[in-house]
Amino acid sequence: MLKGRPQRIPIEQGFFTIPDDPAQAPRLLGSRCGACSEVFFPRRVVCAICLAASLEDIELGPHGTLHTFTYVHLPLFGALRAEAGHYGVGQVDLDEGPRVQAVLAGERDQLAIGMDLELQLETLRLTDSGEEVVIFRFGIPRTGRPS
Amino acid sequence: MKIENAAVLGVGMTRFKRWKDRSNLELAREAGLAALTDAGLALSDVDEAWVGYMAPQPMLGVRVMKEFGLTGLPVNNVENASATGLAAFREAAWAVSSGRCRIAMAIGFDKMSEMAAGGQGGRGVGRDSIDNVILPAAYFALWAMRRMHERGTKPEHFAAIAAKNWNHGALNPLAHRRPKDRITAEAVLASPMVAEPLTAMMACPISDGAACAIVAHPEIAKKQRADRPVVHVRSSVFRSETYAPGHTFLGAVVGPPSITRDTAQLAYEAAGLGPEDVDLALCHDAFANEELEYYELLGFCEEGGAERLVEERATELGGRIPFNPDGGLIARGHPGGPTGLAMIHELTVQLRGEAGARQVEDARVGLAHLVGGGSVCSVNLLQSEG
Repeated sequence: MLKGRPQRIPIEQGFFTIPDDPAQAPRLLGSRCGACSEVFFPRRVVCAICLAASLEDIELGPHGTLHTFTYVHLPLFGALRAEAGHYGVGQVDLDEGPRVQAVLAGERDQLAIGMDLELQLETLRLTDSGEEVVIFRFGIPRTGRPS
Repeated sequence: MKIENAAVLGVGMTRFKRWKDRSNLELAREAGLAALTDAGLALSDVDEAWVGYMAPQPMLGVRVMKEFGLTGLPVNNVENASATGLAAFREAAWAVSSGRCRIAMAIGFDKMSEMAAGGQGGRGVGRDSIDNVILPAAYFALWAMRRMHERGTKPEHFAAIAAKNWNHGALNPLAHRRPKDRITAEAVLASPMVAEPLTAMMACPISDGAACAIVAHPEIAKKQRADRPVVHVRSSVFRSETYAPGHTFLGAVVGPPSITRDTAQLAYEAAGLGPEDVDLALCHDAFANEELEYYELLGFCEEGGAERLVEERATELGGRIPFNPDGGLIARGHPGGPTGLAMIHELTVQLRGEAGARQVEDARVGLAHLVGGGSVCSVNLLQSEG
């Protein structure tokens, strides 16, 4: 944890990493089947395809492609999002395979189906003790996609 | 499997609307008594009850059934999100078809007005969780945006479907939305944006209500009401998802589109019927763009042909294949538990020829389809004898 920065805690444990360095992109916590190699998010114990129970934990992301999106005009999710009054959500195909539903950063006109996106963390609110409650989202990539 | 020897003998429902001063018990009592009266039966004639509701209250099914009397009959609670009512109907139909019993009741009720407000177990404003970033409206908007990207579909297509269902609702005394003046696609497009491209008038309202269907052996149906056609249950297929790439495990899930195609195919095969035999269809039009997708997935046009069906107005009353003549979820309403049983109510009334101003001419075969979060799908085929 960097000095002077509030500690970041996940909205729920077991879904994504929170790097100590805020400049680093988070990763999603997924599974790969040891028998058929299918990759899943979030983590699972039994493979959804071949039903083998030999899954290994892997980290996914941070790069993906926007499969579809919408811009929501009802302020129903999260304190900060409620103030904004509108926000993007979408389905992103991770480079490793799984399709993930998430909030999107950016204005409506910045979003287009097929664009590259990168995982980020978004602060939803502060706890009474000053910790930042964060959730993963996708936004415009700050780093190049590995070739 | 083909359902044999099961017929819808009685149906009843409340109007769907916001019933501020009536409880689930009161609503269910009205719908259940109406169905028993329609069937010419008393509760002592009923062998089993399947009770569908989404309200997070254990034991509610048994408590509701006590409103009709205490006869000792087995009462089972059913919950499958939007598809709850059809899931309960399937169990009642199979209970009769299997020979386990002669008469079974499926009853559903809910007050979405209370659940949507974030009551116990509800998901209201500010209830942020990692599984809750995508609201239903946004989830179906994701379908709509992808469809527009792939097929060039216009918001006007969705608006035309919504306007059709609003106008069908005007003909249904039990519908939540009964507009006095004709609703235009322009008015639908001009209503507030919810999640691009879906506007408020393309979405179902928040409704309360109850509906009930009583299933019996066809011989009982003939004997009880020799004055009207017997409405046979030909198939009732209920499925959860199969895995396919692109499946999302986290957040709102109402199945990939293939769940409807697969379930419909099984229902057609079981009934020995095809889309060409169907005279009217009711589908899960919680959002107008869904109905457009289901034209294809239920087999009423080829892939990519749904937009033309809208342009030809083929799914309006009087068209080639009327969809949601009772107003659908958009106008009749969608309280949750009773929605599927309101569909069975509408199909039964239509197949008896008792639908009045919204009667589909010579209606012999009807289809009822719902998807439910989680996700699940139900497709049912009913046919009047003659």
